[in-house]
Amino acid sequence: MGTTASQLGKDMLSEYQELTFLTKQEILLAHKRFTELLTRDEKDLANTRVPIERILTLPELKSNPFRKRICHVFSTSEYKDGSLTFEDFLDLLSAFSDSATLEIKSHYAFRIFDFDDDGTLDCGDLEKLVNCLTGETDDTRLTPEEMRQLINNILEESDIDKDGTVNLSEFQHVISRSPDFVSSFKIVL
Amino acid sequence: MARSPQRQSSREEYDYTEEYGSHSDQQSLRLRRVPSRVSNQNPPQFDWSSPHEEEDEEGSSGPPRDLRATPLPMALKRAMRQIQQMRVPVVSSRESWKRKKAKSLRKLKESGRGFLSFFSLWSKTLQKIGGNFGGGVQSYFLFLRFLVVLNFVSFLLIAGFVLIPSIVFRSVGSKLINSTGPEACMEYDPNPQGLVVFYNYFLDLLSGTGFMEYSYLFYGYYNNTMVEDVNFSYNIPLAYLLTAVFYFIFCLICIIVRMGTAARVVVATGVSTVGNYSMIAFTSWDYGCLGDRATKLKQKNIHYGLQVDLEEESMKKRAATLTLLQKIVLYSLRVSMCVLSLGLIIAAFFGIFKATEFSQKNSLQGGILGLFFEYLPSIVITAGNFVVPLLCDQIALIERYAPSNTVIVALLRSVFLRLVSLGVLLFTLWGQITCDGAENTGDCKLCQYNHLIYQCWETRVGQEMYKLTLFDFLINIAVLILVEFPRRMVVDNWSNKLTQWVGRQEFVVSANVLGLVYGQTVVWTGALFCPLLPLINTLKFILLFYFKKITLFYNCRPALKTFRSTTSTFFFLVVLLFGWGLGTVVIIYSVAEIRPSMGCGPFSVFPSMWSIVPMSFQKLSITSQEFLFFIGSQSFSIPLFALSCVVMCYFVALASVYGKSVALLRAQLKLEGRDKQFLVKQIEMLSQSQHILN
Repeated sequence: MGTTASQLGKDMLSEYQELTFLTKQEILLAHKRFTELLTRDEKDLANTRVPIERILTLPELKSNPFRKRICHVFSTSEYKDGSLTFEDFLDLLSAFSDSATLEIKSHYAFRIFDFDDDGTLDCGDLEKLVNCLTGETDDTRLTPEEMRQLINNILEESDIDKDGTVNLSEFQHVISRSPDFVSSFKIVL
Repeated sequence: MARSPQRQSSREEYDYTEEYGSHSDQQSLRLRRVPSRVSNQNPPQFDWSSPHEEEDEEGSSGPPRDLRATPLPMALKRAMRQIQQMRVPVVSSRESWKRKKAKSLRKLKESGRGFLSFFSLWSKTLQKIGGNFGGGVQSYFLFLRFLVVLNFVSFLLIAGFVLIPSIVFRSVGSKLINSTGPEACMEYDPNPQGLVVFYNYFLDLLSGTGFMEYSYLFYGYYNNTMVEDVNFSYNIPLAYLLTAVFYFIFCLICIIVRMGTAARVVVATGVSTVGNYSMIAFTSWDYGCLGDRATKLKQKNIHYGLQVDLEEESMKKRAATLTLLQKIVLYSLRVSMCVLSLGLIIAAFFGIFKATEFSQKNSLQGGILGLFFEYLPSIVITAGNFVVPLLCDQIALIERYAPSNTVIVALLRSVFLRLVSLGVLLFTLWGQITCDGAENTGDCKLCQYNHLIYQCWETRVGQEMYKLTLFDFLINIAVLILVEFPRRMVVDNWSNKLTQWVGRQEFVVSANVLGLVYGQTVVWTGALFCPLLPLINTLKFILLFYFKKITLFYNCRPALKTFRSTTSTFFFLVVLLFGWGLGTVVIIYSVAEIRPSMGCGPFSVFPSMWSIVPMSFQKLSITSQEFLFFIGSQSFSIPLFALSCVVMCYFVALASVYGKSVALLRAQLKLEGRDKQFLVKQIEMLSQSQHILN
């Protein structure tokens, strides 16, 4: 795959343009930001993996409650440690870019929300999701009673086939009716 | 229907990535269904066997899928692309040419978009605002940007067709017809005093009188110049009128187009309120949030919103069990509060009415007092708009509507107040110009308008609108400097109970948007009488953008209650359309009905402004006259009407078909789920029986 980390070849660039939703400027900016995360001796290596701790120092991800999930979903690492290569990073930015389609955005959103990676959103996933949304501290967390009511409501609304979980197509059905999603599922460097 | 294979394949891919990714012990249905695939766990290479055969088949028939839209890691996308490229020679040359064309077209589009984004105003700032304060506040700034662009383009229109020609032809052209009329009506002397004290310049600048009055700023300075050469003629009065008409049509089209995009979204989502909680859970997080403070606030917002919604739900359940007596008490309370707020609004109208009358009577005084009288209507309007909504908000607390309704009710009340208060001002002016509509009595007998007070009434209306625009701007700055900054300093530096209770101010999107709509309505009303008003408004809005940005970042905390930005965008535009309607009514009335002043302006010789159009129509060649007559006749308009009916029917039918197919797909999804459950049961039964057999 032959990218040296310090420079981006012209044909590489055009290939990335073809394979992602990013424009040339965005790719170059992403490359610049990514190289800033590398240590000095890593800069000369190709396809360096940046560990999740360093990725999360990016201000765009730093305070996002889903930051760890995002890294895990886009990571191609064999050890599932959430580390990202430059290409993973581009995949991430592409899915979160302005021009990405609703379908791909909703696909990745589903995987981010699927905390136990089992392919459906069950009660446990939903509870974790709501806790991420409202914050983990005690004063922002919903009471157990509220949480139960909320999860019941969510399942009642979106679990069309009534199997107790929300699957990808049901999820996409909900998303497709929410126009704000495309504009809010967005991370721009 | 055409989407279904793609949907399927994306699901398959998901299966793949799921296996490829980590994998819990939980046995999902799919894994049981295809047990063989469980074995090849996490290979870093792509497994070419199962899921993508389908993909390949699809690829050989249709055009290749957009690889960017496949949710796969980059390495796999690259591999798939190589396969696609290897397949290229198989297809016919025409096909490949088509693909190449599509590809280059896409590249061109992308570069074009990149080029355009370079020009788009304030995109970085807007992004930052959205990140820190959420979509609702961002929608205010987007709206402001839209208005800036709209005003600027309108100014270009006016400059191109009216301003520059009048500057150029002022010396060259000849007067169309020398005016004839009663001597008293012809009097117009805008610069009576010879020597001006310096501070008068300042007063003139604020009220548009003195050196400002007789300039390109106002209607009175333009004259009925007409340039006629052998093959070139330019008629300033006609250009003046047609530009105004086009200006209004142009604004309408812009609003409608923007509304169309917003409406599509609202129609798609606003039909059912079901799906609210899942919508909040799945889509409410704004990934553009920057910084801990914004994240915390967003989390607080969501928490608050969820709590309110859950509470509202239980409130509704409780409301259903309310006794008759309690219901009667609640409803009578609501009705009486409604009457009270209506009374407040009417009182505000009366105040504005009186103030305008008073100021028009006393406007001839000089000095500071005169300036005060000149600005009295603006002051009263602003004060009314400031006080009455505050009171209405207090009333809304008593009414106990559901939170979402409260916002809408409050918005509607203030829209009503703002626009109608402007209407009252215009009505007062109209009454004085035309002697309350009785044009052949009293002071109006001689010239059909009150020439004693208004030698050039159009300029006077223009000045009034100029003052309103300027005053609105000054008030905004004054509020920023005198209220918002001190408030933040006090709140930040003193910490006692009172300041904590007051807190930093919230950026109230609806109130701010109404301010913009009001400003724009004033511009529309005054555009005919003060052609440079769009330019002034452009500058005003640009400055306002920066001021609002400053106050947002330094003085505000994000609102606790937010409402969905998409629906609000639509609502803003609807309100803007009301404003446009008010402006149009005023313009149509003054163009068609009131006698233009005889002493000034491009229309001084015509009985009404519109009469220039029939007059120039007579001058056209016979064929073009006939053509225009044909367009206006029934033989053209009836077929046109029928055609548009047919097109509309077609679209209505199309919409209903889409609605039905959505319902069908939903039902199908349900059925599929039931099938699945049934199959699971079958498998379980089978495996149990096999177990028994073994």
